[in-house]
Amino acid sequence: MQTKIKEYRAKLNLTQDQLANLVGVRRETIVFLEQGKYNPSLKLAHDVALALKTSIDDLFIF
Amino acid sequence: MTLKKYQQIKLAIVIIISIIFSQSIIYQNYLIPLTTLVVASLILIWLRRQVKEVIADERDYILAGKSASAAIQIYSWIAVVAMFILYAFKHLNPVYEPVAMTLAYSTCLLMVVYSLIFKFQNKIKFTPSKNKFLIIIIVLSVVFGIFTIRLFSGEDNWVCQNGQWTKHGNPSFDAPKSICK
Repeated sequence: MQTKIKEYRAKLNLTQDQLANLVGVRRETIVFLEQGKYNPSLKLAHDVALALKTSIDDLFIF
Repeated sequence: MTLKKYQQIKLAIVIIISIIFSQSIIYQNYLIPLTTLVVASLILIWLRRQVKEVIADERDYILAGKSASAAIQIYSWIAVVAMFILYAFKHLNPVYEPVAMTLAYSTCLLMVVYSLIFKFQNKIKFTPSKNKFLIIIIVLSVVFGIFTIRLFSGEDNWVCQNGQWTKHGNPSFDAPKSICK
């Protein structure tokens, strides 16, 4: 699975730590998400999309 | 407090507990480890509240589940193999048999508890009839508790009386070879 989290994060000028705090997860989880190594739950995907002001469809490429 | 600091302190506390436990076993004092455990738990709860960062998220819980499952399987295999070896060589030392039995029963109990918790979690998470399953789990826990107490109560054992090993109940192993004082 590919994601555009890094792209959207850069657009909003957010660090991995800041994004992790916004969605309530550990920084490592954001790292794994960005690398496409972790399939998040629907809730986490929704929270990340919300924090990055986009939709799940735009963020995750299945 | 940062997560890293919390984890370092937690590790230090675990090491201290282990040292105190081993020393307490040597000196046969059971009050010290109990007190240590309570104090350590309280300290850890307090420290946990000082950490503002996220300590665990859904990825950690998934990993924790997989790790727990693997740990149970690894322990079970080791315990079963050790149990068979000890049981096969029970004629060499009378202590081997009770140890083998303890390993066997503990493995069975672990499997049963794991299955019950799994079933309980499954039902609790996905069905509305929580109370019914809660009652069943409590009843089964009480039954297993009584069974375990009975098993490890030392009812069937050798007791040291007036300088001689005397049967208490019907122990399945020979009298200890150590001197009865």
